[in-house]
Amino acid sequence: MFLSRSDYDRGVSTFSPEGRIFQVEYALEAIKLGSTAIGVQTKEGVILAVERRSTSPLVEATSIEKIVEIDRHLGCAISGLTADSRTIVDHARVAAQHHTFVYDEPIKVESLTQEVCDLALRFGEGASGEKRAMSRPFGVALLIGGVDENGPQLYQTDPSGNYVRYKAKALGSGSEGAQTELKNQYHADLTLAEGIQVALRILKQTMEEKMTEGNIQLATVTAAKGYFVHPIEEIKTLVEGLGQTAPGASTPATPTVQ
Amino acid sequence: MLSAAGPTHAGPVRIPMEHGFSPYTDNGGTTLAIAGDDYVIVAGDTRQSEGYSINTRYCPKVFKLDNNCVLATGGMAADGQNLVRRLKQSIEQYHHVHAKTMSPSALAQLLSVVLYGKRHFPYFVWNTLGGLDADGSGWVYSYDPVGNVEKRKWACAGSAGHLIMPFLDAKIGHHHQSQIDAKTEGKPGSVPFDTAMKYTKDAFTSATERDIYTGDLLEIFVIRKSGVTVEQIPLKRD
Amino acid sequence: MKAPRATSTGTTIVGCIYDGGLVLGADTRATEGPIVADKNCEKIHYLAPNMYCCGAGTAADTEFTTALISSNLELHRLSTGRDARVVTAMTMLKQMLFKYQGHIGAALVLGGYDVNGPQLYTIAPHGSTDKLPYVTMGSGSMAAMAIFESRWKKGMTREQAVELVKDAIESGVFNDLGSGSNVDVCVITKSKVDYLRNYRKPNEREPKEQSYKFKRGTTAVLTTEITSLVDIETEPSNAGASEGRA
Repeated sequence: MFLSRSDYDRGVSTFSPEGRIFQVEYALEAIKLGSTAIGVQTKEGVILAVERRSTSPLVEATSIEKIVEIDRHLGCAISGLTADSRTIVDHARVAAQHHTFVYDEPIKVESLTQEVCDLALRFGEGASGEKRAMSRPFGVALLIGGVDENGPQLYQTDPSGNYVRYKAKALGSGSEGAQTELKNQYHADLTLAEGIQVALRILKQTMEEKMTEGNIQLATVTAAKGYFVHPIEEIKTLVEGLGQTAPGASTPATPTVQ
Repeated sequence: MLSAAGPTHAGPVRIPMEHGFSPYTDNGGTTLAIAGDDYVIVAGDTRQSEGYSINTRYCPKVFKLDNNCVLATGGMAADGQNLVRRLKQSIEQYHHVHAKTMSPSALAQLLSVVLYGKRHFPYFVWNTLGGLDADGSGWVYSYDPVGNVEKRKWACAGSAGHLIMPFLDAKIGHHHQSQIDAKTEGKPGSVPFDTAMKYTKDAFTSATERDIYTGDLLEIFVIRKSGVTVEQIPLKRD
Repeated sequence: MKAPRATSTGTTIVGCIYDGGLVLGADTRATEGPIVADKNCEKIHYLAPNMYCCGAGTAADTEFTTALISSNLELHRLSTGRDARVVTAMTMLKQMLFKYQGHIGAALVLGGYDVNGPQLYTIAPHGSTDKLPYVTMGSGSMAAMAIFESRWKKGMTREQAVELVKDAIESGVFNDLGSGSNVDVCVITKSKVDYLRNYRKPNEREPKEQSYKFKRGTTAVLTTEITSLVDIETEPSNAGASEGRA
């Protein structure tokens, strides 16, 4: 005699008889509505590319920030309720700085990811009834890209507090198709420049609007340069380059990436 | 150190009163460290004393840590031991959280942060930390009680530190000297291992002669890439 | 400004009577705070031919107090025509120390042999005295007394007494940081004094690992400048005359 599903919807800390916490699952759904974000790990570095999806032509697309710096060697792409990501990114930045302060070394990519995930389940009420800081799970997923002593790495976090390492991963509304394409186009020997091509090409396919230098964002994290946001002029060249070649064809004009 | 109660008022009943309590005591002893191109020597005597009394002739104040580092603690033994327990715990925790061994430079920074964390009730300890860096060369970090840290090639601290320091400056730093025999005496700050061991032993036997708080036993830790070894040498017991 | 710190002899000194005489003992370490100032100083001072006195406390005070009393005892011997008695020396010492109200930091063990046989006293810095068969003083007094209390007995031989005194001093040498180095012993009998300087040397330094002699030329000569302070003129040389040297 199960209660109807909606009864278990209400409590963020109540399991359903099937052993599910619906609010967390709904949060996972929320990120599927977000704009598409793509991460690709190559030997040379990690690529993060996102769509700046605007609700109106009057929105200044460049004001939508969906890739942010966490530390000199760490960046993160956001998909879902971007407002929630502020809390996470603030926490991640503090964690990275704290590690540097205490140990005089950059935090590892996985350690930072774990640190972020530790936040994810701090919702609902505490065990002894004390008020928790958050009333609901985060509605945002992250692609965390970074470089440490183990080389370039890409991690994906979600509202359940899970994290998984990927070679290439897509998030958001266009993720399903993008993930399939990533599977087709990814290989371990990709250079950074090739990785950028792959990421942008797939991003372009998922976008409803026409891809321009103004409605996407591109960042890379390499050992040499660390977190680097590619300037709009460079993106312009890259996007124009994409138009000239069919998807899947060999790499066109090599983008300038150090 | 507890101060004995004195008569504080003229009444017929004397109440034992504690006044001027000091949470600190100096347990004496001397520490020394010499870093070379592929080794670090960290040494300390094992006498623990208070005033004119010897508490014990064997209480180590040099500790091997789990990440191929060695820490020498001088000053108050209780604070030193407690600090080492904290650091060992932190090193293990770091191992679990970050799935790697804490590097000497990370430990050096951690120790500074831990010490400064007690800025207003410091650990009464003068630390000397030895370790090998990523390319295998030896380094010594020396600290004051509140976390000021200096990366060096040689250091000494404790009750005979001021007696030994000019000796090391002359023999390892080659201060104010020309005509150095490079084969036995090395370049400044880069002494051959055998020579550094001789300096270490002579520094301690000489300190034992003139410092009443140094003596009983000398414990020498040697850090190399292959691991840490310990040698014990008896010192005079008077 | 702080007053200058005097050299103190953080010390172990003892005395012990046996049948037919008495034994005095002392360590040989002098300290200045935590530093050993003298590794082999003498702490058993001469007072009179039949009396010696061990000193603990401020080195200068024990030195001058015993020297002064020694002079006065000699004058006393000359004016009375007899050997001074131990009790006389003790009285002179305590009166002097009491007069200075403890400001003379001398803690003494006085031993001597006179018409009343062997006698042993302690004199504290404020002038109080004790007359006992075995005594200890100084920072190592506890360590030394521990040996006496466990092993002293009536009617010991000279050898037994010397052995006990030696062990008492060594107890101070090894267990008290203010005491160290060697053991001095002084045996006083009816007609003879045996001053056994460095009776035991249990703390000899082992040879160093290497020599630390600096090579000639270690200190670099940065500049050299020679200024002639006199002009040397040579006279026109005559045959046979010696030449002036510059």
